[in-house]
Amino acid sequence: MAEKQQPPQMGRPGFGAGAAGRLQAAVKPKNMKGTLRRLWELTGDSERGLGWILMFSGLASVSAILSPFFIGKAIDQIDTGNKAYYFLALLAGVYLCDWFSRFMQQYLMAGLGQRVVAHIRKVLFEKMKKLPLAYFDQNTHGDLMSRLTNDVDNISTTISDSLSQLLMLGFTIVGVLSIMLSLNVVLTLISLVSVVLVFLLTKAITGQTRKMFRRQQEFLGRMNGEIEEGISGLSMVKAYGREEAMYQRFERENEELRRVGTMALIWSGFLMPLMNVINNLSFLSVAAVSGIMAAKGLIPLSMVSSFVLYSRQLSRPFSDIANIYNTFQTAVAGAERIFVIFDEESEPADSEDAVPCDKFEGNLTFKNVSFGYTPERLILDGLNLEVKAGTKVAIVGETGAGKTTIINLLPRFYDVADGQVLLDGKDIRDYRRRDLRDAFGIVLQDTALFHMSVHDNICYGHPEATREMVEDAAKAAGAHEMICRLPKGYDTVLGGGGNVLSQGERQLITIARAMLADAPILILDEATSSVDTVTEQKIRRAMLAMTEGRTSFIIAHRLSTIRDSNLIILLDRGKIKEMGTHEELMAKNGQYAGLYRTQTG
Amino acid sequence: MKLMIQRVRSHLWMFLTAIFFLSVESGADLLQPMMMSWIVDRGVKQEDVQLILKYGVWMLGIAFLGAIGAVMRNIYASKTSQLIGMEIRSDLYRKIQTLSFENIDRLQPASLITRITNDVTQMQNFINGCMRIMVKAPITCVGAILMIIIQTPQLIPVMVVILAIAACLIAGNMKLGYPRFQRLQKKLDRINDVSREFLSSIRVVKAFGGEDQEQEKFDSAADDLAAAGMSATRVMAVFGPLINLTVNLGIVFLLLLSGYKGTIPIGKVMASVNYMTQVLFALGMVSNILNMAVRATASADRIQEVLEEEPAQKSAADPLVKEIVGDICFKDVSFTYAGAGRPSVMDMNLEIHAGETIGIIGATGSGKTTLINLVPRFYDVSAGELLIDGVNVNLMEEHALREAIAVVPQKALLFSGTIGYNLRWGKEDASEEEVKRAAEAACAEEFIQRQEKGYDTLLGQGGVNLSGGQKQRLSLARALLRHPKILILDDCTSALDAYTEAKVLKGLREHSKDMTVLLISQRISTVRRADHILCMENGRAVGYGSHEELMENCRLYQDIFRSQIGGEDNG
Repeated sequence: MAEKQQPPQMGRPGFGAGAAGRLQAAVKPKNMKGTLRRLWELTGDSERGLGWILMFSGLASVSAILSPFFIGKAIDQIDTGNKAYYFLALLAGVYLCDWFSRFMQQYLMAGLGQRVVAHIRKVLFEKMKKLPLAYFDQNTHGDLMSRLTNDVDNISTTISDSLSQLLMLGFTIVGVLSIMLSLNVVLTLISLVSVVLVFLLTKAITGQTRKMFRRQQEFLGRMNGEIEEGISGLSMVKAYGREEAMYQRFERENEELRRVGTMALIWSGFLMPLMNVINNLSFLSVAAVSGIMAAKGLIPLSMVSSFVLYSRQLSRPFSDIANIYNTFQTAVAGAERIFVIFDEESEPADSEDAVPCDKFEGNLTFKNVSFGYTPERLILDGLNLEVKAGTKVAIVGETGAGKTTIINLLPRFYDVADGQVLLDGKDIRDYRRRDLRDAFGIVLQDTALFHMSVHDNICYGHPEATREMVEDAAKAAGAHEMICRLPKGYDTVLGGGGNVLSQGERQLITIARAMLADAPILILDEATSSVDTVTEQKIRRAMLAMTEGRTSFIIAHRLSTIRDSNLIILLDRGKIKEMGTHEELMAKNGQYAGLYRTQTG
Repeated sequence: MKLMIQRVRSHLWMFLTAIFFLSVESGADLLQPMMMSWIVDRGVKQEDVQLILKYGVWMLGIAFLGAIGAVMRNIYASKTSQLIGMEIRSDLYRKIQTLSFENIDRLQPASLITRITNDVTQMQNFINGCMRIMVKAPITCVGAILMIIIQTPQLIPVMVVILAIAACLIAGNMKLGYPRFQRLQKKLDRINDVSREFLSSIRVVKAFGGEDQEQEKFDSAADDLAAAGMSATRVMAVFGPLINLTVNLGIVFLLLLSGYKGTIPIGKVMASVNYMTQVLFALGMVSNILNMAVRATASADRIQEVLEEEPAQKSAADPLVKEIVGDICFKDVSFTYAGAGRPSVMDMNLEIHAGETIGIIGATGSGKTTLINLVPRFYDVSAGELLIDGVNVNLMEEHALREAIAVVPQKALLFSGTIGYNLRWGKEDASEEEVKRAAEAACAEEFIQRQEKGYDTLLGQGGVNLSGGQKQRLSLARALLRHPKILILDDCTSALDAYTEAKVLKGLREHSKDMTVLLISQRISTVRRADHILCMENGRAVGYGSHEELMENCRLYQDIFRSQIGGEDNG
């Protein structure tokens, strides 16, 4: 039984449709250069001002290069008993310049880094928005949230902390190297030996850390999912006294996160100490060789001291770069997880010859439609149905018969696997998706309300609606009185998920939302299941007025809700079993008649 | 801060071990420039290659020792910080589980998520950084300063001035940084909040074309976060270079002074300059780590806030654990949601005997769900008393109380995991046979078997891959598996077709013979066979009795009846 309690690994490939796309992404080799290049491309034009930053970085590194030079000169002068005012004044000037350019560079970089990150976040959200519903069904919300926050954040830290440093270090290296070369070639080459060693070492270590950071981000995402689910479902956790079990589930992820996190840190921590040893070796060789050269009179003593300083100046930026490259691994790990989303297939784009259309008659035809949420299990199998404009269609049938599935296909929440759905004689895939969805006023089983005022919730998707229109819609939905009883009426801001409202009240608001949309085709999926029957009758009357002349689809289990439909479809395991008006079906004395009798007692 | 100190203290030995190795590392770091100055002063100056090599070997040995220290320090520091991070996350998660819905509404779920992940990471980074730099930097700093003083005692005044200025700068940095970092974390909450809402409302967003609106919301949250981040990092941009400048000007003065005095050996001056750069690095590190400290403190305070959150529901000091029979008694019970003006349940008086089935019916928003939520103490009564078997529920041990109750909510809440896993929430050690029986009673067995993997079918978060009716039946089976003394059914058959509902209700009746059942429904047909029916309006009981009695004397009940049965007559 223990193994049955394993939480599933959401988002892993092979769980439903869309897996093909992700599998592809997973197979794609993760290479750092590619990821960084994509990251750069992703920044769009938000890296404005980089020129200025480059310039100030250049200035700052010039100062870093010049200062030891002047210090060396000053020491030479002091050594010979001079006061060295001239060089010290120059040195002070250089330091002031260093201060100014560092400040400007960091100040500008703070802006740029945040701008880039905000841009990446927005683009990522934009992409997420376009993903098909199937994707959201397969991934825990918490994990997707983690990508928008933690993973992007990782990039942000790297960009603002490292990028500017990297630029400066690059300049420093170029500068120091050219001065060193101008001073003495042999000694420069000796210092460079360590660079090669540093390079090899870094490569070896980051090869390990990259994998670990990636796993760390994965576990962080999974843990985020675990927390999100635990909080969303807390009422059931408490009701069933499952605190301990949920805690254990959480602890598993937590423990894994700790393990991977520790390993990643330990590995990345090997870099600096080893590098320090290399740098010391290099310093020693430079000192020894320059000592010998000075002893032989090949170079002046002042050159020894400045060269020793330079060799440290040279090794430091290299170790810093190695270190930055090391921390880059976390950013790359975050970036890779972001790119997985970018690589997901979006809802297919509108076809090129999609006709803009804002007036639909409402004729709907299902032609041989097959569909399943997973390819292996078809929910609808060769469904044929013709609905004339203005028909009130009711769909009944056992739960799981495919009622909601039919409705999911109409606004293209999912696309058919086979066959066609035609609206006014044209395949719905030939319309622009926005136009198509605007053609439907939908009330879903899922009574999602947003953390904003009742008014804004009702005119969701139609921000142009006036208060009057909102109130009319609410009145038609029988929600007006209930809303007026709220502390601030229509301006009451609903809490996270609209907690204080009862399920029935939430349904009323969502119905008002659909009423306001005033679309040619209405879809009501169990819209009034939690509403009391007295209110329901009121809504029904309003609906009747509203559905007059419109095509409508109603799913309801209370058969009283659907009796006055023109066409009742009894669905059984994805197939139409009975079809006709209430009277026809009652006369037929089949399954529908049986259902009706059970309910009326 | 308090939180961090307290956590570190609980792993003091590991922390101290890290510090020990850190001292080795820092000692080596400090000795290196000295060896270098010896190499230059004694070796190079006297043109003695032998001496250079001799000191060189020493220096390498020290560097090697330092490296070992650094590696060991890193291992211990990583382990300690990650361990502390994990423990804080555990504590937070535990704490959140004890919070009542009131607390959670106040703290906001999205914010809680940020706190467990991002805020803990900030703290963890800081603690790790502490063991990496915070200790090393002062040692290096103090050591380097001491060395400068030893080598060139003439320079003490310069050092004092430099350090005083640097200290002021660092303090200013922290003072300006703290509020900014706290705002930064708040803005991160907002991002989490917006994206969480988007994810859980995705269908509505797509259906109503709310994409642009959501993008706008997200964009503004992202921009706010960027602005907060910018303002926080710009504080560092102001102070960091200033600290650099201070130390750099110190070097100039140092050279100036030694030139002025002209009596200091040149090797010592060079060493002092070298040490000065070490001071510079150390100060840079200190200000860096203090920046992290500021951020970590902001985060630690947010964590502390959760840990110190008083659960709105108090557990009894000496909770009563006893076998529950199932009598429920409401005595003048009223309940008002926090922040709501008017009570949702008012002056409720009810006496329910063990084994009875009570139907509850009433208009949308009349307080039915609120009433039953009081029984398992999802919320506590605002006034009056709720007694089970004659004992006030507030005096009972919460787990024992809930153990005896099973709730089937309106909105079936399932969790990612297999169907079997979800059902066994009701009873963890249920045999396969028991699970099957419960599923059969809830009419779920048939569709479970139709799933490819039966009970091992994986459900997505919230059971997305099931239809509404299927979710309701699973949620019902989960409750039945529990064999509770009190079964609460909150309109949990609303998504079932009439035929299945009838079957479910039949299965339920057989299964619940010895249970007290509270059954909320909109349909008279569902509640009419209950022993008593409670008819509610605006939080009050307006009728209580059998179907026949209510048909006689309850106007509201008659209205509801007419709307259902009467309505169908004229169709």
